[in-house]
Amino acid sequence: MPAVGSAVLVGMADIQVIKHTGQVGCLGLGSCIGLCGFDPVTKVAGVVHIMLPEAFADKSVDKPGKFANTGVPALIDAMVKAGAERSRIIFAMAGGAQVFKFGANADSKLDIGARNAQAVTQILKQLGMRIVGQDTGGNNGRTISFSIDTGDYTVRTVTSGEKTLCNLKG
Amino acid sequence: MASELELGLMELSVVKEMTNIGLGNATTALATMTGRSFNMSVPEVESVNLDRIPELLGGSESFCAGIYMTIEGDVSGHIGFLMPWTSVQSLWRMILGAEPSEPSEISEMDASSILEIGNIINSSFLNAISDMTNLTMHATPPLLAVEMSGAILDSIAVEASMNDHVALAIRTLIHDFEGSFEGFFVYIPSLGGLRTLFSSLGIAEAA
Repeated sequence: MPAVGSAVLVGMADIQVIKHTGQVGCLGLGSCIGLCGFDPVTKVAGVVHIMLPEAFADKSVDKPGKFANTGVPALIDAMVKAGAERSRIIFAMAGGAQVFKFGANADSKLDIGARNAQAVTQILKQLGMRIVGQDTGGNNGRTISFSIDTGDYTVRTVTSGEKTLCNLKG
Repeated sequence: MASELELGLMELSVVKEMTNIGLGNATTALATMTGRSFNMSVPEVESVNLDRIPELLGGSESFCAGIYMTIEGDVSGHIGFLMPWTSVQSLWRMILGAEPSEPSEISEMDASSILEIGNIINSSFLNAISDMTNLTMHATPPLLAVEMSGAILDSIAVEASMNDHVALAIRTLIHDFEGSFEGFFVYIPSLGGLRTLFSSLGIAEAA
């Protein structure tokens, strides 16, 4: 595992874009989604840390990265602005877990993680985008990291350690 | 929202006092449940950004148990009690006499004992606030996660749908003659909830 210190960390509801080299990721995703996009030609990578499926209709959106319906287009826009070619961007995503698995109501509780995952895949599909790796649902918290240098999108959990989910170099 | 939780010294000392009373009740309940006596202390009360709490617990990937409840009533909100893995293990030793060495070995009994203790601790904290303020607060049944601290807080923030992720973090220490365990309350009152709470105590709105 490369040192966390060298990676650009994406906090809740944030969007970060990096270019040419380096790593970007999210620490300890619960029901949130860490969606990563990469253009292998211009080497522009971006991650959004999505919290909820969609923005409330009656409230203004202060942080587009917070919601799937605003966060996905905002990530693509930020990457295009940094030099990515929209049609070349490929995606990987992880998160959307239900970490509160013990308790009387644990099963009946509205599973927001699953709804987040569903919303993100649906929006990517609507936008005609390609997802090459997805690790969502379950009860495990996840740390995700993407490296421009290797193209690997890795997912780490407490129980299973670190795994490369997919490679985005294409 | 951020400004609402920028508490003055007066407000912080009130929260600390409420926590002291609440934990006093909790340790009495724990003593009755286990037949052992406990002491507790509340070294720190801070209003912090939710993103920063994992640091206090040893990093976003540090392994923790978190007991989470939703609060309904006059002041709605969310409450979580988080304990580092080593603290959960010493708690198991105190209560059950043995502890699972790996997270994968957590039995139904281990989980329900932690769930119940978290329930007692959270409810005692809420009851103390209710008693002091005469505001009604009901908590939903507790949920437990044993996971990375970041993932637990991430999920609580989603439940609270927070914009700025500002919460009250209250560090606690509970010990008996053999060992001690450390925990953090994460208390997230609804928008305007703290104002209701403090004004019911005759304290002017936080600056």
